[in-house]
Order: sequence, then structure tokens, then C-alpha cells
Amino acid sequence: MTDTSAPTRQEIERWARRHGIEKLHPEHLDRMSELAVYVADLGRSLRRVASKDDRPAAIFRPLDGRHGQDGH
Amino acid sequence: MRDPSQPPRSIADASAALMAGRVTSVELVERTLARINAVDDKIRSYIHVAHDRALADARQADEEMAAGASRGPLHGIPFAVKDNYDAVGMPATAGSALRLGHMPVRDADLVAKLRSAGAVLLGKLSTWEYGTGNGGEYFDLPFPPARNPWDITRFTGGSSTGAGAAVPAGTAMFAMGSDTTGSVRLPAAACGLVGIIATPGRLSLKGILPNCYSLDVPGPLTWTAEDAAIVLDATIDRPASRRREISLRRATGLPIRGLRIGVMCEPLGRFPAPDAAIATAFEAGLKVLEAAGASLHDVRLPLPVSDCFDVTRVLGPAESASIHEAELRERPQDMGFALRDKLMAGSLVRAVDYIAAQRQRLVIANAIDALIRDHDAIVTWGSLHVAPRLGVEPEMTAFTVETMLTPFNLSAHPALVQCTGFSPDGLPLNWQIVANRGDEAMVLRMAAAYERDTPWRDHRPVL
Repeated sequence: MTDTSAPTRQEIERWARRHGIEKLHPEHLDRMSELAVYVADLGRSLRRVASKDDRPAAIFRPLDGRHGQDGH
Repeated sequence: MRDPSQPPRSIADASAALMAGRVTSVELVERTLARINAVDDKIRSYIHVAHDRALADARQADEEMAAGASRGPLHGIPFAVKDNYDAVGMPATAGSALRLGHMPVRDADLVAKLRSAGAVLLGKLSTWEYGTGNGGEYFDLPFPPARNPWDITRFTGGSSTGAGAAVPAGTAMFAMGSDTTGSVRLPAAACGLVGIIATPGRLSLKGILPNCYSLDVPGPLTWTAEDAAIVLDATIDRPASRRREISLRRATGLPIRGLRIGVMCEPLGRFPAPDAAIATAFEAGLKVLEAAGASLHDVRLPLPVSDCFDVTRVLGPAESASIHEAELRERPQDMGFALRDKLMAGSLVRAVDYIAAQRQRLVIANAIDALIRDHDAIVTWGSLHVAPRLGVEPEMTAFTVETMLTPFNLSAHPALVQCTGFSPDGLPLNWQIVANRGDEAMVLRMAAAYERDTPWRDHRPVL
């Protein structure tokens, strides 16, 4: 069964530290716990493409080398 | 009767006056600087005004024109850019405490092109922090928020907030903004302007602070469709195979008789119906197009517009979190609420969901493209609401989120928002025109035809 509860402050703090995000204030971590639920809901609710042959949209635009390749 | 101390209302008018010798660039720039001094305390369109540099550039423009070396219709015209554009000699804060004191060493490509066309850069315009936001205004950034010239208790639309305020107020003759999910077209909707995004890849993003690599696109905000065409003619990248096409400005003079126009109002999904005044103006606008000889055909977006928005809610935060990862790690306390919230959320997006969103995006883009290919252009809602009250969170968020703008960011089509009249409270109404990829000329031609047959460009806000 899908767990839709918010992570605890300790869980989100551990997650953030694991990913190098260490300077958030306590109130930021509380907010991040709320956001974790929102983001998970959003990811679950996103329509899925049925065919595995359907590839992602291209991020970098081959017609213009200035996009992406140099950070813009 | 217009106040002669104010700048002309459009680039086209100003350019004609410059070429006829009825005004100089120095006079235009001085009037615009005086206008900034007179009204910008009310609307806060600028973060930085480059007074001396602008006058020096205007003097140079006058000397060149006096010597018969005109660079075209932008020569001597004062403009400004959103503060996520780089411009040499001006701070580039992107509206953030994180970048106070940052001085770029190169012009953004678009700034360089506009300067090369002789336009005079006045300064940097207000923006939501890093050119992004969630619709809310939290009054926690180093610069006060821009205010809507039609009603200074109202919001300008974001994230190109200062660009939306400056053009109707006359503190710039045109402005450059950037759009990820509506940030050019929302200020155009709220402030009664033309705001256009070209087909992605046709306007350079180099030197603009990235927000979302896969969706970012820059665009001008202008008073008229013809002005937008003039700016795009000077800035758009044309492959060699298209260099013999007529100018976009000439396209704005073409009739629309015989064009096949799709009318797309559904499905809105979980979004509400548009404000009554916007809906009424939309219907009236369709009659204008019909009277001009276009044929109208109902079409439906292939999926609810709110589902399109959901795709951008995954792509935008995830990419922003990647782009600005260092700032979230090192200086989260120096950000405003909206940016920090977005970066924290984006950090939590799973790669699996991000790729699912990009796959869904391509399905959406192909479906929209197939639909538009059967038409010369599509007319749709822009924002479903008029400009919200600044600081009234539910109104602010609804204005930003409840739009029909995001499908065309996802599908990579050129799209334009323009003014379709005014509400009983005097607030601008809007609609959106979309055309096939690469056909900016059609979008501008449609918008110009509508302008010619309606009186809305005769109204300016009183400040």
C-alpha cells in the first residue's frame, strides 16, 4: 500500500544531508517534509505513456548549439 | 490628446519620427528617463537605470543617423531588459540577493543584437527571483515588486514583472522578457500588451540566466504587434534557407481573409471557466476575425490543459534544482520563499518521474502539432483571469496557474498574447494566438489584423 504520510523532520533532514543539502533552517526542513508529499503525489498522478517506444522530448536543441552545450 | 512630453506610443511611430527628423534619439531617451523619474516610484518597473550610458548611446545614434547611416527601425529606440539578461556595465541580479554585485562581462546575445540594431538600453527590469515563481508574492526579495500601471494595487503578472509594467507606463518603448510556462505572456495579459514567444531555438538564450533548459524561451513585450515584429526581425535567428522570406513587419500588414483558424477553448480539466469579461471579449474577438474574412473551426486540446500544467510542474522544479543546486546547498537562507520552495521541491523529484514527464511532453507536443497543422493559426484563452490583487495569494496563484499557456511551451509553437479589451474595472483582457512551428509571421499577422479592427491600442494607463 502506498504510504502518503509526510516524512518526519529527522527523515527529511537525513535525506537532505545525504544529498549535500545541509544548510536548511529547521523551518525549511519542515516545509520540505510537506513538499515531499506534494512531489510524490504529483509523480504518481502524472499520466504515463503506454508504449515503451515513446521516447522523452529532447532537452538539448540540435538546431542551435548555443542551447545546453554551454550551459544556456 | 497625447502629452507631447511623453515618448511616442509605439516603436513604429517613434522610428518614423526619428527618420523624418521630428525627434532625436536623445530627446526620446530624455523623455523616457523623465517618465521613469515621474512614475517609477509607483510601478517599480526598474531595478537599475543606466542614465549616462543611455544618453551616450542615444547621442551616438543621432550622430549616425545624421550621417545617413541608419541601422533600421530600432535605431535610437529606448528599451530595457528583464534582469536575468546579461548586459555589460550593468548589474545582473536576477532580482535576487544571491547575485547582488554580479557584473557580467558579456552582453546576452539578444542584448548584443539589439544594440547592434541601434536600440538604446536604458536598464534592467524587475523580475521574480531568478525569473521564476509560483504565482505568490512574498515581499522577501531585495527589490520591491513591480506594480500594474492599470491599477497599482494589482500584480503585473510574472515572472517578467518589470517588463509588463514598463511598456504600458512608457518607461521603456519595448522590453525583453523570458518565458518558461508563461512569463512573457502573463505580464502581457495582465498589463494589456503584446507578448510573444518564438519557436524555441529561433531566439538565442545565451546570456540569460537559465530557469528550465527544456522550456525556456525569451520574447519581447511591446505595445503593438507591428512593434513585436520589428523587435523579432532584429533578433530572430534565420537559417540560410529562410533569409529570403519577407520581414515579419511586412507580414503584419497582410490581410487574414481566407485563413483557416482553429478556436480552442476546451478542455480546461480542473481549471475554472475564464472570467466573464474575458469570455465575452473572446467571443467578440472571434466576430472581428470572421468579419475580416477568416474561417473559424472549433478544435479541442488533445488533453486537459491542467494535465499539461502538471507536466511542467515536474519539469520546471527538477531542472531548476539542477541548475541552481549550488545555491540551495550553500545559501538557502539568502533566497526568497518562492525560489527556495521550488528548488527544494525540484530536489525531491525522482528521475523516473522526470523522464515520464518528458515522455508525456513529446506525446502532447506531437498531438498539438498535428492539430495545428490543419490550420493557419489557433486562437485560445491566455490567462483565464484579469490581473490579481497584489499579495492576495489565491488570486495571484489562480492568475499564474489557470491559463492555457503551458500547452504551447510543451509543444514548442510560437504563441502570442494580446489585449482584447478592458473589464468594467478597467483591467486588460486577453487571448492567445498560436501558429505552426517557425511561423511567427502568422501569429503576428493575426494579431495585427485584430488590432487594426479594434480600438484597444488607443487606451493607455493614467499614472
